[in-house]
Amino acid sequence: MNSSLQQQSMLDDKPAVEVSDLTVAYHSRPVLWDVDLTVPRGVLMAIVGPNGAGKTTLLKSILGLVPVAAGQVLIFGKPLAQQRHLVSYVPQRGSVDWDFPTTALDVVIMGLYRQLGWIRRPGSRERRKAMEALEQVGMSSFARRQISQLSGGQQQRVFLARALVQNAQLFFMDEPFQGVDATTERAIIEILRQLRSEGKTVVVVHHDLQTVPEYFDWVTLINVRRIACGPVCQVFNEKNLRAAYGGRVAFIVEQQTEGC
Amino acid sequence: MVGAGWDIVLADALSSPTLRVVGTGSAILGAVSGALGCFALLRRQSLVGDAVSHAALPGIALVFLLTGTKTSLGLLTGAALAGWLGMLFVQAIVRTTRLDDDTALGLVLAVFFGFGLMLLTFLQRKPKASQAGLDTYLFGQAATMLREDVVLLSCVGVVLIAIIALFWKEFILITFDREYASTVGYPVHRLEILLTVLLVGAITLGLRTVGVILMSAMIVAPAAAARQWTNRSHRMVGLAALFGAIAGASGAILSSLVPNLPTGPTIVLIATTWALASLLIGGRRGLVWQWLRRRVLQRKLAEEAVLIGLYDLALAHGDERRGHSEGAIRALSPHAVGVRGRLRRLKQEGMVEETSPGSWILSKKGRDEAKHLVEKSRETS
Amino acid sequence: MTNVQLEIQLVAVLVAVACALPGVYLVLRRAAMLSDAISHSILLGIVLAYFVVRDLSSPLLVIAAAATGVGTVWLVELLVRTRLVRSDAAIGLVFPTLFAVAVILISLYARSLHLDTDSVLLGEIAFAPFNRFEVAGRDLGPLSAWVMGGILLINVAFIALFYKELKLATFDPEFAAAQGFMPAAIRYALMTLVSITAVGAFDAVGSVLVVALMIAPAATALLISHRLGLVLAVAAAVAVWSALSGYWVAHVLDASIAGSMSTMCGIVFLLAYLFSPSTGLVAQVRRRQAVRMTFALKMLAVHLAQHERQPEAATENRAEHLTEHIRWTNDFAEKVVRRALSLGLIGQEDGKLFLTEKGRVLASESVIEDSV
Repeated sequence: MNSSLQQQSMLDDKPAVEVSDLTVAYHSRPVLWDVDLTVPRGVLMAIVGPNGAGKTTLLKSILGLVPVAAGQVLIFGKPLAQQRHLVSYVPQRGSVDWDFPTTALDVVIMGLYRQLGWIRRPGSRERRKAMEALEQVGMSSFARRQISQLSGGQQQRVFLARALVQNAQLFFMDEPFQGVDATTERAIIEILRQLRSEGKTVVVVHHDLQTVPEYFDWVTLINVRRIACGPVCQVFNEKNLRAAYGGRVAFIVEQQTEGC
Repeated sequence: MVGAGWDIVLADALSSPTLRVVGTGSAILGAVSGALGCFALLRRQSLVGDAVSHAALPGIALVFLLTGTKTSLGLLTGAALAGWLGMLFVQAIVRTTRLDDDTALGLVLAVFFGFGLMLLTFLQRKPKASQAGLDTYLFGQAATMLREDVVLLSCVGVVLIAIIALFWKEFILITFDREYASTVGYPVHRLEILLTVLLVGAITLGLRTVGVILMSAMIVAPAAAARQWTNRSHRMVGLAALFGAIAGASGAILSSLVPNLPTGPTIVLIATTWALASLLIGGRRGLVWQWLRRRVLQRKLAEEAVLIGLYDLALAHGDERRGHSEGAIRALSPHAVGVRGRLRRLKQEGMVEETSPGSWILSKKGRDEAKHLVEKSRETS
Repeated sequence: MTNVQLEIQLVAVLVAVACALPGVYLVLRRAAMLSDAISHSILLGIVLAYFVVRDLSSPLLVIAAAATGVGTVWLVELLVRTRLVRSDAAIGLVFPTLFAVAVILISLYARSLHLDTDSVLLGEIAFAPFNRFEVAGRDLGPLSAWVMGGILLINVAFIALFYKELKLATFDPEFAAAQGFMPAAIRYALMTLVSITAVGAFDAVGSVLVVALMIAPAATALLISHRLGLVLAVAAAVAVWSALSGYWVAHVLDASIAGSMSTMCGIVFLLAYLFSPSTGLVAQVRRRQAVRMTFALKMLAVHLAQHERQPEAATENRAEHLTEHIRWTNDFAEKVVRRALSLGLIGQEDGKLFLTEKGRVLASESVIEDSV
């Protein structure tokens, strides 16, 4: 914990994520156009936008998973390659083969592979850490279950535990609430708030506009271009939502503005 | 006659040095291809074995006919290089065209094989490939395996397995969750290349024993069988190696006992039969167990329906002691056939009583159970 | 050219075209490897039927072989439906099993027979002219030409009759089912055709190279055309060319005709893969270069527009900055700026780039058009 605090204080002056001039194109079709973005430390941020707006692509290009046509991404002031140990990623649930012969505990231990380094095997220390993470997401009694025997919400929590065990400073999550039950949604958001209170930064691709003001304190609206980025109560307004979604969002906005 | 006779034949065969060599060699081959096959299966690349083994032919032809070498190591190298080249083509086609991997695999498999055949026949100046060269390769020829071959098999096999063991957690991670692996900084692409090289190595090793056509089964079958028995990846790989080794050794022994029984096809048939058996009876997923579980559940539901039916009838008539005929119960039950058998079983369990022949009422126990079931179904709906 | 040579070429062309047509539908269904499975497992049908009738020329053999082919597809689907294995593994389990049984049966009980496994796997088209089709003492040419001609006719007739049903069932089986076209029945009819074709062809080219003749022309045609009718025609043309050129290459080299035919198939595919005007690698590279420049111009315009009214414009909108923030090499950045200047999209004032009216139009157009 101590080293983690030191880590945090060393990074104090730099924003968690700085994206400048980011352009991503599949073939010749631009998916993100010249996006500039700054995510300050210690916020719980949602990335929202209509389908095909490039939300997942934005996340993946920050994480270096898709080739970038132009632009630069800095994580705590340095390129990703030097900061991977500070970053943790929770992919979309559909991105893996859930029939894979492995248990929930094994999946969480995967989060410690990089710390272990090449060749060394996980031992009892790693198992203990992984059990703690499963405990944290309320899944410790499912540790020995094969992953296909878990419900969608439980699978999502196992993924979250794998990210937690990495002890990262910056978390990226791709649609963590997709297809999960209400209990899991509450449990996940509780954990995310706790992470924020520990000074960590969480970036979530989100599709439910209704819950944005309740769950998040920071928001980025994109639709190929960046529409707005800032505190929810300043930028999550009708003008920006219209710019991102077109004319289809009026009724949500009226509820939101009173919150701030 | 059979009992005593076979004992002697088997003991005789096992003491034969040739068979011991062949059996050991086939077992090693089975173990290596079984272990590596797990990765092919989990990566949904089961048919890669088929493509690589066919694509190896031009490599063997070129090495054999250009350098004249007949050593296992030389031919193996040629086969592995050609198989690897074939894999590169498959990957390039899938990446740069809209053709799918099935098409790419089939195309490379058949075209490489045809090219190899053309080379062999051209260089041998014969309209038909020479029996000696091609036959060994097409169907494998375990029986001609020499001690040196087994030494080579073991060395290469040990190296392949050792690399798998060294990079175990990395290979499992890129197979399970490729994207995550690259976010934590693993060189995913290079690891994938390494894994493919190992797979190509295992496949080319097996060519001499089971042959081109059947080699793919040695990749798929032990792995598919092992998958049914466990839900842990390391156990799956261990079991697949074990199954492969058993299939290899027992196939070699069996074919030496029965005159004219070819070794390669026997090994493969044992492996695939075991895989199909594992689908039926393996672990909790086995089809037989699934079917039995469904039967038990259906029977329970049907019996409950009879209880509820009788309960409803008693409520409707306001008289618990009044007996009801099978016909009346059948009319209320969703599973009309087999009501009589169910009533008899329920009677044994003490749920119903037969007041007079063909006239049924609920017992005290049955009434409580039925009431409980009705309340439960009300809660859930 | 001798008569024998002509007859071999005739059989080669008939075999190749008969294989290529159903092959198109296999490739479109992403089920190309089923042809591999079918062409191997039909051996079991032949062997079993032989044990019943004890006659290698009985038509029952063909029927049994075709039935085994269809049975293979059914078994694969059965295994996939259990959800215990995926389709690739199911194929990899089913056909080696059937093939191994066939080889074992031959070795155990039919060793003296003329059913050696070599000729099953490799075929020998050069022998085609020796087996004549005679009616009432009159020689009507090689038997295999008649057999393959018949199979080709069946294939053409089936595709012609059920063209729209096949098309619908291939592209959108669910919609086809909703329209009452029974995609499952069409699928099995197609698999029957594939099986019959494989049975007919493997005498000539063997079971491995049947796969080449089914997949390669279809794959080549799909690289060249996107329209189904044209794809079928191109596949047939590729098949004819591979058969003829394959024959002559084999003739010159004194090599296996079947091997050489599939090598020619491979070469045509390779040519299409590299040089197809629509999807070839060369065209892809060239198009990517052109698009890259257009895209770069748009990117430059949008970048300048984005930062034009902001305080950092002074630093962001300089030529040197482009290499730093937009990931362009120095050379490429210079090229883009020069191109943009010559097109009048931008202007330059002591190292600082600014958008012209035309450039501003491009920037706003790019953003709007691309976000739709």
